[in-house]
Amino acid sequence: MNNLLLTIWSNAFIICGIGIAIVFAVLIVLVFILNIFSAIMTTKIKIPTESKNKDDFYEIHLTASESAAIAAAIHLYYYNDIETEKQQITIKNIERKYSPWSSKIYGINNLVR
Amino acid sequence: MEKFKKYLLLPIFVFITLSISAQNESSKNTPDSSIQTEKSIEQTADSVEPLDLIDSFNKILNSTGFVFIDFKVILMLLISCLLIYLAIAKQYEPLLLLPIAFGMLLSNFPTAGMFNPELFANGKIHWDIFTDKGGLLDYIYLGVKLGIYPCLIFLGVGALTDFGPLIANPKSLLLGAAAQLGIFATYIGAIGLDFLPRQAGSIGIIGGADGPTAIYLTSKLAPELLGPIAVAAYSYMALVPVIQPPIMRLLTSKKERLIEMKQLRMVSKTEKILFPIVVTIITSLTLPSAASLIGSLMLGNLMKECGVVERLSKTVQNELMNIVTIFLGISVGATATASTFLNIQTIKILLMGVTAFCLGTAGGVLLAKFMNLFLKEKINPLIGSAGVSAVPMAARVSQNVGQESNPHNYLLMHAMGSNVAGVIGSAVAAGILLSILG
Repeated sequence: MNNLLLTIWSNAFIICGIGIAIVFAVLIVLVFILNIFSAIMTTKIKIPTESKNKDDFYEIHLTASESAAIAAAIHLYYYNDIETEKQQITIKNIERKYSPWSSKIYGINNLVR
Repeated sequence: MEKFKKYLLLPIFVFITLSISAQNESSKNTPDSSIQTEKSIEQTADSVEPLDLIDSFNKILNSTGFVFIDFKVILMLLISCLLIYLAIAKQYEPLLLLPIAFGMLLSNFPTAGMFNPELFANGKIHWDIFTDKGGLLDYIYLGVKLGIYPCLIFLGVGALTDFGPLIANPKSLLLGAAAQLGIFATYIGAIGLDFLPRQAGSIGIIGGADGPTAIYLTSKLAPELLGPIAVAAYSYMALVPVIQPPIMRLLTSKKERLIEMKQLRMVSKTEKILFPIVVTIITSLTLPSAASLIGSLMLGNLMKECGVVERLSKTVQNELMNIVTIFLGISVGATATASTFLNIQTIKILLMGVTAFCLGTAGGVLLAKFMNLFLKEKINPLIGSAGVSAVPMAARVSQNVGQESNPHNYLLMHAMGSNVAGVIGSAVAAGILLSILG
C-alpha cells in the first residue's frame, strides 16, 4: 500500500516537473524565434548616443498621453471625421444675363396689353 | 347567343352524368365495405377494453416528470435557475453560462430522455444503441465528445486575437508559461484529494482559465467530470476581477505597481503572418497532442492577418463561433446531471479550481518580479497576472489595478501580450497532460 502511494506521488511530481519544464522550453524557443523576427524585421532608427551637448538631441520616447493624442489624430484623419474646409466659395457672384423670361420690363410689357 | 348556351349547358350535362355514375358505383360498393368495417369493429372490440376515466388520468399522471421528481432533481433545477439568473441579471459570462445553465435544466427533467450518459459510458460512444436511445442533447454532445467544438471555438478566438503585443514583447511568453504553474500545482493537489491522475489533470487545467482547453482536455481524460469542471472554469473566469486583484496587491509593492512601461514597437504585417505559421510548426512538432488546439487557434489568426480571406475570417469570428458556442454550452450543461453534479467531488473540484486560479495568478506575478532582477527595463509585475488566459478580462484587470496606483499608467497592451501568451501556454500544458495521461 505504501509502495503504491509512493508510486502515485512520485508519478505526480514527475508529471508536474516535466510539464512545467516543457511549457517553459516550448515558450522559450518561441521567445528566441520572435527575437530573431524582431531583429530582422524592425528597421533600426539610429539615435545619436554620443553627443557632447545633451541639449543637441531629444530622446524619442513618447508618453502614453502623447501616443493617445497621435492615435486619435490619425484615426480622425483616416476616417474623415475631422472638420475640414471643402475649398468651395460659398457665396457666388452670379452675373444675371438678360433673358426675356427674367426681364421685368419684358414681363410688364407683355402682361399689359 | 345559342352557341354560348351550348357551351354553358355542355359542362353542366357532363357534371350531372358523372355524379349519377359515381352514385351508382358507390351504391354497388357500399354493402361490401360496410361488411368489412363491421368485421374489423368486431375484431377490435375483442381486444379493446372500455376506458376508465380515472385509470386514464392516472396513466397520464404517472408518465409526467412530477412522479419521478426527488430532492436531487429539485436541487439541480434550482442550481440551473440560479445560473440562469447569474447569466442574465449579473451578466457573468452570459454567452456561455446561459446555454450551459439551460442545458443543465433540460437534462435534469426526469423521463424526458434529452441526455443519456450511458451512451457515452466507459469513455466510448456506444453507436449500437445510439439511434434507439439518443436524445437531442446526445447528438449535440457528440461535438464535445469528438473534440470538435473546442477546436472550432479556438478558430474563432484566433481570428479575434491580435498577437501584435506578444510579437513586440516576446518576454511576455515567459509570463504566460509561469501562469501555468497553477495547472501543475493543482494537479498535485487533486492527487492529494484522492482523484485519479486523469481526473487530477482535468481539474488542474481549470487553472489555465481557458474554457475550450478545459473542455477539450476533460472530454478526453475524464468525461465524467465535464459538467462540474466546465461550470467551475467559466464561473471563475467570470470572477477574475474579484479573484485576481487581492493576490496582485499582496505580491507587489507600491513601487512595483508604479512602474511605467515603454510603448511597444510597431509590428509589421509580415511578422503577424509568419507568427501563426511558425508557432504551429514548432508546437505541433514538439507536442503533437496540442496540434489540434494550437493549429485551430493559429489558423483563425492567419485568416485574420493575411487579409485575403476576409469573408472566412468574419465567419469564424461571428457566425461560426456563435453557433458553436450555443452547441458547446448546451451540451456541456447537459452533462451536469444530478448523479454527476451533486456529490462531494464537485465541491472539491470547485475548491481546487479557485486554488488553480490563485496559483496561476501568483506564478505570473512572481516570475515578473524575478525577471525584474535581471532586466534593465523593468516590467510592471501586474502584467504577469494576465498570463492566465481569460482573454481579455485578465488584461483589463492588470490595467485597472495598475491605474489604481498610477492613473497615467497604461498597461493594457503589455498585459494583452502575456494574456495571449497564456492561451498558447495553456494549450501546450493541455497537450502535455494529454500525451502523458491520455
